[in-house]
Amino acid sequence: MTLAVDSVRADLAALVGPSQVLTDAAACAALAVDGKVPDCAVSPTAAEQGAAVLRYASEQHLAVIPRGNGTKLSTGNPPRRYDVALSLSELNRVIHYEPADLTITVEAGMVFGEFQNLVGQNGLWLPLDPRGGDKSSIGGIIAANAAGPLRQGFGGPRDMVLGLKIATTDGKIAKTGGRVVKNVAGYDLGKLLTGSFGTLGVMVEASLKLFPKPPERATFTLRAGTLGIARDLRKSILRSPLDALRLVLLDSRATALVSNSTETPEHPGAELWIEVGGSHRVIERCMLELRQLASAVGAPMARLEEAEKAWAHVSNLAHWLQQKYRDATVLKAALPLAASEEFLSRAKQEAEAERIALACFAQVGVGIVHLCALQETLSASLGTWVTRLRQAAADLGGTLIIEHCPVDLKSHVDVWGAGGDDLGAMRKMKSALDTQGVLSPGRFLGGI
Amino acid sequence: MKLKGLFRELAKIVGEDGVLWRDEDLMLYEYDALSSLRQPDVVVFPRTTEHVSQIAKLALRHNLPLVARGAGTGLSGGSVATEGGILLVFSRMKQILEIDLEKQRARVQPGVVNLDLSLAVADEGYYYAPDPSSQKACTIGGNVAENSGGPHTLAYGVTTNHVLALEVVLPDGEVIHTGASHWDRPGYDLTGVFVGSEGTLGIVTEATVRLSRKPEAVKTLLAIYNQVVGATRTVAAITARGITPAALEMMDGFTLRAVEEATHAGYPMDCAAVLLIEVEGLKEAVEEHANEIEAVCEENQAREVRRAKSAEERDLLWKGRKTAFGALGRISPNYYVQDGVIPRTRLPEMLEFIGSIEKKYDLHIGNIFHAGDGNLHPLIMYDERNREQTACVIKAAKEIILKCVEMGGSITGEHGVGFEKSDLMPLIFSEDDLALMSRIKNLFNPLGRLNPGKLLPTGKMCGELRGGLAGGGPV
Repeated sequence: MTLAVDSVRADLAALVGPSQVLTDAAACAALAVDGKVPDCAVSPTAAEQGAAVLRYASEQHLAVIPRGNGTKLSTGNPPRRYDVALSLSELNRVIHYEPADLTITVEAGMVFGEFQNLVGQNGLWLPLDPRGGDKSSIGGIIAANAAGPLRQGFGGPRDMVLGLKIATTDGKIAKTGGRVVKNVAGYDLGKLLTGSFGTLGVMVEASLKLFPKPPERATFTLRAGTLGIARDLRKSILRSPLDALRLVLLDSRATALVSNSTETPEHPGAELWIEVGGSHRVIERCMLELRQLASAVGAPMARLEEAEKAWAHVSNLAHWLQQKYRDATVLKAALPLAASEEFLSRAKQEAEAERIALACFAQVGVGIVHLCALQETLSASLGTWVTRLRQAAADLGGTLIIEHCPVDLKSHVDVWGAGGDDLGAMRKMKSALDTQGVLSPGRFLGGI
Repeated sequence: MKLKGLFRELAKIVGEDGVLWRDEDLMLYEYDALSSLRQPDVVVFPRTTEHVSQIAKLALRHNLPLVARGAGTGLSGGSVATEGGILLVFSRMKQILEIDLEKQRARVQPGVVNLDLSLAVADEGYYYAPDPSSQKACTIGGNVAENSGGPHTLAYGVTTNHVLALEVVLPDGEVIHTGASHWDRPGYDLTGVFVGSEGTLGIVTEATVRLSRKPEAVKTLLAIYNQVVGATRTVAAITARGITPAALEMMDGFTLRAVEEATHAGYPMDCAAVLLIEVEGLKEAVEEHANEIEAVCEENQAREVRRAKSAEERDLLWKGRKTAFGALGRISPNYYVQDGVIPRTRLPEMLEFIGSIEKKYDLHIGNIFHAGDGNLHPLIMYDERNREQTACVIKAAKEIILKCVEMGGSITGEHGVGFEKSDLMPLIFSEDDLALMSRIKNLFNPLGRLNPGKLLPTGKMCGELRGGLAGGGPV
């Protein structure tokens, strides 16, 4: 920070009120990103204040990292600079809610759990199960385009955002999209902001599409002896008339972790978990259909009890692992639909060669594979392992990012990998929206 | 002469048979389904991405407008060269380049006709979900540019929810590739920005799209009402039951009579409105939802609820719906169609309002709505030779769109802003909102040569619906 902290504090206090600016060491340390501690933390209570903070930061060249509840901030390269933590947590009001229209507009800092409770009273939900779970903020979920296994049935945040209000670095608040479910007026900048990880602007308000909750849901587990059998099952499920809400493949270690069992896994294969929804009769039909598919490949099938809790573990596995393994590393590969199992088998071979203990879960109907390297301490071979897996993903036509890892690893490997021939266009976007480069500098693809 | 030189340069790129420049040829390209606007100076038919890139460079050198066009079925003037220049027509880039059913993806050139893609994978039980009513003619490239919708987007989303990757030629001729055939490629979602950018940021030369598996069962219901308000109330009531139909369309009696005379689809001639409702999925779910919907319709005073008994009957009902614009074209020399969106719970109020506008200006308005998502297509009948009436149409249309805005809606749900609505943008966007969009546009299209006069306000004729309303296109 080029300016004295005291003067920045005073300037920010003038914008948001003195009680909304913190500079004490403990508060700032709690907001560290990749080990970098900001000099102050500011929590606007109105969107316009957020915009004013951004303009001030831009004028003073202060680096800002916006945050909701911080559940996904581990994704990204270490910030080049970090002066101000901009917390959205006090922007948490409901602006407009019309249950019968299946639409809602809320401020970006609203906590996901509270959001679901609110709309749940009308039998509705936002069908997302992002990492960070209930603690996530709506803005954070959109900024990270964080979709969990429910993406199988409903798509991701990208598909649910109807409109956004964005505080920009020139101190303005700009709207994109709207409140209604169908709208093609103007550029769809909601797409640009979704998944931009706080590098282009700060979302202050989001209008979202809601969905009626299925009357009943049921989860079935199908045990596949080998990845080959799992692949055949995945193919037959996706070809069948069943509409899965969630479909994941868990390897034996992930199964054990998710069911919170301390026992070492007894069967070497994988489990497919499939969730279906509808009336009782529809679920019965799904069960029959699945039983046939399972018996065709000799996979034992069971209905999972307390499924909701188990699913929360699955979508939150990475966070959960951090508590158990200090240096847990979580990789996310995005692949063509047909390639998940092949990639998993490559990853397992590579992990064995490097003696890395691995837990894997894959959204096999979407093509997203999560690999969790379970370790107490960072091992030297991890960097080469990541690089080799990134190559393996590329060979299969996919990409691989590090979703979470110890900061030391980030000095060896880029979190995002290399960009393509559209990186120039992305850089242009960045420079147009954040002319001074103050928003989460250096955290995104290609040093953006 | 300057044009002759241009012709020679273009012919060098695409061959002489790939360029049109005679007046009688250019005439065919002066309109889309909105109206007749202006001729391009020259029409060119590229065969490859490299052609498009070279043409873009040439347009830059000559400082000429460059406008892309698929089948010209657009309803907002988006593919008309309103300031002349070079019109790129994609009818020679219509190859389906790759189909991979296990990946559920297809890679296509922009000139591929929407329905042709679905037909290519139909035997294997797949289809391409977005289904604009003009799907027999409109192209994927045009759909991408306009972010097109269609009746079945209620459950499955619009074009942007089904496009994963694009090859784009930028106005300076640079070729870039956005997105990937898989989800979540790292970086900004440029694909999402280019979709719906109406040809003002770049020219799409290839698209990778999702293919969807056909449902096991489909049921099509026709609910018939003696009063419009029963139909509009049913819409919100279905949603309140937690049912999302695959499609939920409304047509009023005026429209129906025209449709029935044109298609003989079996629509009643003596009712005030119908809802055409489709449910899809597992046969058990479809059966349950159909029964529940039938009950909801009856609770809301439906006179009768029919179910299509065969695929033929279903196809006929849909043919009637999808050719409705054309059917109205048979009974009126001209019509003007709007595309406003409102929250679906406000449909009863809106229908009443449109009725009052009809009376106020002594016009006939046919109402065809994608009712399930609140997307309105009121078609105002008129005769362009009657200037007084034409003036009334403009006023009536403006009042309707203002009402949409007042209800918290949008000026366009699926037809695009184009030339037609660019000066209406300030109704729903502030100066700051528009400034941000302009910044994005200027990044890619700083000289404004790429599809000039579209999407963003030009400020030339503030707040009026512009243009000769001479439509009645064959959609």
